[in-house]
Amino acid sequence: MSTATNLGARLPAFLNDLALLAMLLVIAAILTTAMTLQYAYGELPCPLCLLQRAAMFGICFGIILHFRHGYSVRNTGLSLLFALFLLIVSVRQTLLDIYPRPGHSYIGSAVLGLHMPVWSILIALAILLAFAIKLAVLGGGEQLRDARPAPLVGGLAAALTLYVIALCAINFVSVILQCGLGECHTFGYKLL
Amino acid sequence: MMAAVFATMLGALAASRFGPVWLAILSLIACLGLSVGSFLFEIYSPEYGFRMPWIQT
Repeated sequence: MSTATNLGARLPAFLNDLALLAMLLVIAAILTTAMTLQYAYGELPCPLCLLQRAAMFGICFGIILHFRHGYSVRNTGLSLLFALFLLIVSVRQTLLDIYPRPGHSYIGSAVLGLHMPVWSILIALAILLAFAIKLAVLGGGEQLRDARPAPLVGGLAAALTLYVIALCAINFVSVILQCGLGECHTFGYKLL
Repeated sequence: MMAAVFATMLGALAASRFGPVWLAILSLIACLGLSVGSFLFEIYSPEYGFRMPWIQT
């Protein structure tokens, strides 16, 4: 087997790892931005906003499983399930807030002219599109299975995984402080 | 409810990195069930639910 053939065989798995790492990085950056807006600017998330965050963590779950246990269509399916949930929740919230009325307006400030639920729709569509393109171009065949990530990609993925778990832990504590064990409101932290 | 959503999600993510796969997936399924339940509660609850009177369905 020549080196060129060997490289050609490893290329789809490498591109797959790269695409998933990029997705993990982008979602971690989005969650970090949302949490910065919450803690630095006092913009408390509404219940549907919190569900959108949970959906983004769910998308990360499938990617984290991939980097720990290798490629599996099941991991992709789990991520797609949460991407779909993110789309449903964000579309519902946008439909809710698109018509301004007293007591119900967009929560938080606009980022680049768009509010968070509208961004969430675009994020969900981008993730669904990215998975669709990845599956169409790279497929899900044997060339992706049993291929370990390159050391640099694997190292970055491991660091990002720990970062995402830390974000989720902070969110969990924050939700307890904001909502207690009951309903969530955006008036303030219930336990503070 | 929301605390349970994030507790199960945290359990799923931690297990996906440090624990057995079956536990991770079990936690994730529990989280998805709680999330869907919470979403339906938010949109249908007569007390807390959000209505969209401008959209007739």
